[in-house]
Amino acid sequence: MKNLLRFIFRHHFLILFLLIESFSLFLLFSANPYQKVLFYTLSHQVSGRLSTRIENFKDYLSLHNENHKLAEENARLYNRLRSSFRLNTPDSAPVIDTLYSRRYLYLTARVINNTVNKQFNYITLDRGSSSGIEPDMAVINSDGIVGIVKSVSGNYSGVLSVLNRGFTVSGKIRKNGYYGPVSWSGKNTGFATLIDIPHHVAIAKGDTIVTSGFGGVFPEGYLIGIIEDFRLKGGNYYEINVRLSNDFRKLSYVQVIKNITRQEIDSLETRVAQ
Amino acid sequence: MIKEFLKYLFQFVVLILAQLAVFKNIEFSGYINPYVYVLFILLLPFYIPRIVLLISAFTLGLVMDLFMGTPGVHSTATVLMAFSRPFVLALFSPREGYQTGTLPRLSEFGLEWFVKYTIILVFLHHFTLFYLEVFTLDYFFSTFFRALLSMMLTSLIIIISQFFVFRQ
Repeated sequence: MKNLLRFIFRHHFLILFLLIESFSLFLLFSANPYQKVLFYTLSHQVSGRLSTRIENFKDYLSLHNENHKLAEENARLYNRLRSSFRLNTPDSAPVIDTLYSRRYLYLTARVINNTVNKQFNYITLDRGSSSGIEPDMAVINSDGIVGIVKSVSGNYSGVLSVLNRGFTVSGKIRKNGYYGPVSWSGKNTGFATLIDIPHHVAIAKGDTIVTSGFGGVFPEGYLIGIIEDFRLKGGNYYEINVRLSNDFRKLSYVQVIKNITRQEIDSLETRVAQ
Repeated sequence: MIKEFLKYLFQFVVLILAQLAVFKNIEFSGYINPYVYVLFILLLPFYIPRIVLLISAFTLGLVMDLFMGTPGVHSTATVLMAFSRPFVLALFSPREGYQTGTLPRLSEFGLEWFVKYTIILVFLHHFTLFYLEVFTLDYFFSTFFRALLSMMLTSLIIIISQFFVFRQ
């Protein structure tokens, strides 16, 4: 006993180091997806307030650009209003249209924390479950796709950025409709990789890549980026380097998209798979 | 004693705020990221009780983890760095040892001593941090270069900051 105490006393620094270090490693390794979400939620609550302050200040510096973007977007949306079209058939009666029902709902949010310099980047938004945000919603802005909501707390939500090794979205080449998974290679914040495009497909530098709408998270047709270069991998499939349309260092206002039909699609697909 | 404590608490808060507001935004295509907050561990006094050293490093890492949303990554790196600090100090110790009343500052021990001390500890911290963050050896060399370049930038910022903040 005395020897044990002496041993502990002599090596208390090493023992304490091993204890604290193993606790840190425990935090790191034991984090299963559920605990990770808990940690992110806690992390949002702690850092949310501070980040909001910092972002509030940064917003002032980018007001000019933001205004310009919003004005452009307004113009684009005005162009789609019914009031900006003229009826060509002179005497038609108005019809209440039941052919269409709403499928996507758009909510706006502001980015209050964002990293681009890690391999697993996350974005924090200033809206959470109290504003109707749920996990697995798509996040876009006027320049293209941004990410997917991963965890939600009362007032904040954590978004898996496109610049995250765990992010994959189904993308397609707009001109011919061939699709494949798009993911980030972790090397450069400006580029992602599209794979699984067969070698007979005609592609060229500058072709547009948009979301395919599969997977039910992103609606079809949102911009991902343009083809920068491509090469054949393994002889049969192209590996395409896509220049992302969004500059992830400048994100400030984003739209979160809720797919109202998603639950129905998901439950149908699980039933089919059984 | 209280005055000392408050001084280091102030450094702790300032360095974390500086990291979050300024240094977090430095990156070249996501390749180089300085983590200057480790300066806190470098500046602690020579004869700080080792237990306090480890615990304050752990707290520093944990706070960083909370802000960055990375459970355990920063705290593992800072605790390892704090653990190695006494050995690095012993390695570069002057012949008569460190006098009581002196602090590990560039102004007291000269540029060469401070550069060696900083680079070795920042190296340890950054390599642990970058490999834990990627969590795979698949991209061994790209991670290696990211850690190396970031280590250089962090050390450079730390050394330059010493000329401005702690000049006599």
